[in-house]
Amino acid sequence: MDSLLEHLDRFSEVLAVSRTTHVSTWDPATVRRALQWAGYLRHIHRRFGRHARIRKALEQRLQNQWKQEGDSGPTPAPGLANFQALGHCDQLLSLRLLANPALGDASFHFLLQQLFPGPGVPDAEEEALQGSLARFARCRAAAHMLRFHAYRENPVLQKDSVMKTQAELLLRRLQEVGEAEAEGPGRLLSRLWERLPQSNFLKVVAAALLLPAASPRLQEEELGVGSPRTPGDGRQELLRWLLGKSDIAVAFCRNLPAELLTSVAGRHPELSPVYLGLLTNWGRQLHYDLPKGLWIGTEPQDVPWEELFSRFQSLCQAPPPLKDEVLTALKSYKAQDGDFEVPGLSIWTDLLLALGSLV
Amino acid sequence: MAADSAGLPSNYEFWMQKLSVWTQASTLETQRDICLHLPQFQEFLRQMHETLKEMDSNTIIERFPTIYQLLAKSCWSPFILAYDESLKILIWCLCCLIKKDPQNSRESKLNSWTRRLLSHIVSTSRFDIKEVGLFNQVLGYAPTDYYPGLLKNMVLSLVSELRENHLNGFNSQRRMSPERVRSLSRICVPLVTLPDFEPLVEALLTYHGHEPQEVLWPEFFDAVNEAFLLKKISLPTSAILCLWLRHLPSLENTMLHLFEKLISSERNSLRRIGCFMKESLLPEAAACHPAIFRVVDEIFRSALLETDGAPEVLAGIQVFTQCFVEALEKENKQLKFALKTYFPYASPSLVMVLLQHPKDIPRGLWHQSLKCISEMLKEVVEDYGSYGGPFESWFLFVHFGGWADITAEQLLMSEAEAEPPEALLWLLAFSCSPGAGHQQRAQIMVEVKTVLGHLTKLFRSPALSARDLQAAAEENQGGDPRPPACQQLVRRLLLYFLLWAPGGHAIAREVITLMAQTDAIMNEIIGLLDYTLYRWDHLCMEARRSRKLARELLTELREQASPRQVNQ
Repeated sequence: MDSLLEHLDRFSEVLAVSRTTHVSTWDPATVRRALQWAGYLRHIHRRFGRHARIRKALEQRLQNQWKQEGDSGPTPAPGLANFQALGHCDQLLSLRLLANPALGDASFHFLLQQLFPGPGVPDAEEEALQGSLARFARCRAAAHMLRFHAYRENPVLQKDSVMKTQAELLLRRLQEVGEAEAEGPGRLLSRLWERLPQSNFLKVVAAALLLPAASPRLQEEELGVGSPRTPGDGRQELLRWLLGKSDIAVAFCRNLPAELLTSVAGRHPELSPVYLGLLTNWGRQLHYDLPKGLWIGTEPQDVPWEELFSRFQSLCQAPPPLKDEVLTALKSYKAQDGDFEVPGLSIWTDLLLALGSLV
Repeated sequence: MAADSAGLPSNYEFWMQKLSVWTQASTLETQRDICLHLPQFQEFLRQMHETLKEMDSNTIIERFPTIYQLLAKSCWSPFILAYDESLKILIWCLCCLIKKDPQNSRESKLNSWTRRLLSHIVSTSRFDIKEVGLFNQVLGYAPTDYYPGLLKNMVLSLVSELRENHLNGFNSQRRMSPERVRSLSRICVPLVTLPDFEPLVEALLTYHGHEPQEVLWPEFFDAVNEAFLLKKISLPTSAILCLWLRHLPSLENTMLHLFEKLISSERNSLRRIGCFMKESLLPEAAACHPAIFRVVDEIFRSALLETDGAPEVLAGIQVFTQCFVEALEKENKQLKFALKTYFPYASPSLVMVLLQHPKDIPRGLWHQSLKCISEMLKEVVEDYGSYGGPFESWFLFVHFGGWADITAEQLLMSEAEAEPPEALLWLLAFSCSPGAGHQQRAQIMVEVKTVLGHLTKLFRSPALSARDLQAAAEENQGGDPRPPACQQLVRRLLLYFLLWAPGGHAIAREVITLMAQTDAIMNEIIGLLDYTLYRWDHLCMEARRSRKLARELLTELREQASPRQVNQ
């Protein structure tokens, strides 16, 4: 077991080096060794895929490695992400070496001979790598062609295939990291928040919260067998983090479209009080301008009436209990303000009036 | 297999020109042109590789000075890179150009340029979606981790859009415009052999829009059919059915492919041909939809006429019909379409009788069915009624070839002193010589009757000699020479005699040697043995001794005919 873990560490180092200029010192023998190690790990993946204890140990080791890398400095190139990645670690190594201009010509030549032996190769192992590299490249070209020629962004965000993929990957990663360490998911999410364009990240979070609950069997297939994870773990982590960081929650509720937020709040009742609370605060910031006959804010960052209204409108079109919750709140605020029917005195009255038939 | 190096230079120029046009602009026209040429271009690349791998890189540059441009331009189009094995072959070609140790700065430069191009096409990173790339980098996933999932989601989303289109009709907001569907079919052309695309291919094939004309690219259908024939894609029968119904040339190509197998020099056994037939899905599709059956039948009919009744084509028809009937039975207990839609030129009652499987009828009643068939055919043939001439009737009859052979066997095994029934004799005569006039047919019947008379007498005798059989089969000395069709019939009777008569086994080899005077006759006998075994398999006939003999004879004769090939 120990030797296995050590082997894993060594290979991860090799993988990290394969991107750097250090490969200029690699001679063909080194390249061969690296490829052999990759082959050995692939064999491990095949052999111990169903062996929960070994699988878990290897997975843990990889998550620890990644945690150490991730905390320090700028984003490094990904190494082996999880146990499943062992299944194509030879592909990963090969692609890195092929793209590295620092690799000497003789070593590069040797690498090519190993990777692309040509037609009619009797060795099944070699043929497999050649075939899988070609297939991977085709896969990428195919995705590009679909994106470029046939793709239309789905207006329903959570159904958009690119968004959906990112959401699935996020959840999967949260689960993997969470298995290794309890604070893992929170840290990862904070890191993502810092390093990615915020509006895109928030959309991915929303999409992830809206993914259909995966069936356990599907999860198993995805993760390649017998995983003790329960579906929904990643989602819980995500929600917890979101609700725990007030500034992020505010950005979430402020920047995402009304329809999307309604769906998320409907699906995750824990969010609705937070959302409602924010809407209430925003509403309270506005005052009635008598000459213009409008509700307006004083600060530039105040949420305008139109937006407030559209959000409430969307919420009131949601199925119960969300709809009822919102209406109850609105009516109680109206009552607190004096229960006026005349417009211009309480924003809550005016909102209810504007919502009209939905109420 | 060997590269046509004489043709290579001119091909090279042709493809250089083509590539220059293709890289100028990416319009619909160029895309269409690329798709049309993908298979030939791949073949050219293969030939290039064969040539290049024999040379060292300096020689290559001398011989093909513009090779770098050619390869670079090829790598430009995602259609080319996505197609089948083109990417692999391009990589191989580039590998031939990489030097192990460059001698001077020029070689170094070329080397690093080639290396960059190589890594470029293997990792195709310029095709990446930026926000996805960054996202995954921070998550800690490499492209090898997430690309398959991304592609799968994109494919599934497109599939559900196509299906939604189908269900919601005009009201759906997400309805795919015909241009988009066409565009999708165009993209699929190079990618039909990528397993991840199978759901999309299937969804396109079964897609029914609301436009009166075909929305999908014809090149798409061609590509799918080619891939299916070469077993590079697996699709359900319903999808293939759609393919053939929407695009007739695909069906025709499949038939051509089948004929190539039938008439190949390998002399496949009928059992093997039966397997090909079933794999091709032709019988199943024909059973599901009469239009397909009619087209296939028409092609068989033309082939039969053009080859003057070649036995291979005949065998193909019989095997096809056998598989077709099986598929029909499996498909539905009662026929979804009336028999008339499959056989419009035949009387329905005749078709019903012919379709009956002999194994479903008790053996003692076989001669009843035969009489029935004979009478119905006779009526049509001699009456020139509304059901087409003698050829049509004969063509129908040979579909179900087993009946003619059963007639022969029945006649052989009847009582020695009894008169063979006229109806059965007529049937035999008709099957071997449909175009014969009334007089001729009568003459054939007389000949056969005489031979049968001899044979039935010899049937039960325990000890026979080859001479006895030869005498039985001899022509009448005084009369006209036997027509060749009749000779064939007599040989068939002799062969069945050898297989069935208790005394026949001992003299079988001797008699066959005497019969097989020419190669053609030898092939005929081999074909007959093969067909008999095939037929007995489907009849679930016991007959252990006869079967054993037939099998042994078949193996021996095949060995003799072509010593290196023994096809079972």
